[in-house]
Amino acid sequence: MNEDGLDPVIHAPARLRIVVTLAALRDGDDLSFTRLQELIGLTPGNLITHLRKLEDAGYVTAEKNGSGVTARTSVALTLAGRAALERYTMALRQLLDSASSRLLSPHRRPGKRRFGAPRARRLCCRGRRVPSIW
Amino acid sequence: MNEQAGTTGAGMGEAAGGDDGTTMGVADAAVIMQEASDRARRQLRVSHRATFTIWGLGLLLGYGSIWLTVRGQQPFHGLPPATFAVGALLSSASIMTGVAQAQADSGVGGLSAVRQRIHLLAVLAGFAAMFALEGALAHTGASRSVIGVFEASAPVLVAGLFYFTTSAVWLDWPVLGLGIWLLVVAAVGGFAGPSGVWAVDALAAGLAYLLMAAIEPWLRRS
Repeated sequence: MNEDGLDPVIHAPARLRIVVTLAALRDGDDLSFTRLQELIGLTPGNLITHLRKLEDAGYVTAEKNGSGVTARTSVALTLAGRAALERYTMALRQLLDSASSRLLSPHRRPGKRRFGAPRARRLCCRGRRVPSIW
Repeated sequence: MNEQAGTTGAGMGEAAGGDDGTTMGVADAAVIMQEASDRARRQLRVSHRATFTIWGLGLLLGYGSIWLTVRGQQPFHGLPPATFAVGALLSSASIMTGVAQAQADSGVGGLSAVRQRIHLLAVLAGFAAMFALEGALAHTGASRSVIGVFEASAPVLVAGLFYFTTSAVWLDWPVLGLGIWLLVVAAVGGFAGPSGVWAVDALAAGLAYLLMAAIEPWLRRS
């Protein structure tokens, strides 16, 4: 964990995409390397590098089946990986909530809210709308 | 919370270093999560809306056109050759459904792939058994009326059982409702007689599929 409470293994754009994509699969399912590459949009070399980091952390498993033209490498999220993504999502939510409440606090008067939390959340991000992933 | 990592105020969009040569703030991370999740769900899961629409229109048009050709037959003397066109229409619907499913499943392995194959086998076996039973009915001297009711109701019965088992595998409650409804339609429709059963099934089953297609996005959200 870094000082924000965000797991540094996941907190990188490419690896975050990989983990979230694999988490969309049902339990017990895996995804071929080529389909994952197509979904993430990385070069094979880059994808291998990021998968290796995730594999070293125990978040994904990569398994090669067959040989020659029938060879298929399948990638799956482990239970530890799924749990790590949940922790990461919670930490991210807390950071966003904390930022929203800090933005609200100078304007807040007792018993009267000037902004709703969703509006504050939108405002806190330089005009970019933060999606409601939770 | 640390300011440098961009967790407060305007700093939300500021960079937290990523070791892949790019930087990412907390807001960026949330956006990336949403986009990746949406993309994965869109590409890895087949759109039931399209499937339900195809089958709803197939049943409405197919069964409806058969009813238009057999209504008023006295006595009932069976289906016209145009039935083959309906068969082709429903087969096209099956193929389109299969292609959409195959595209979504491409590259996906593991338990889901095994379940899908067993499920497909169950449907194929169900339809094969249905045709064999129809042959047996004809062989034992069943009247054209009995065979007419069977020809209309049996496919709806097989489809109803298919959705029933689908809901058991994926715990999909709206699909369970569709399965139960199709079983009821298959069981009750036959009482409308060898001509009327086509109209009952076209409306009751076809509209149920179209209703599912209409409410599917709302069901997925809730």
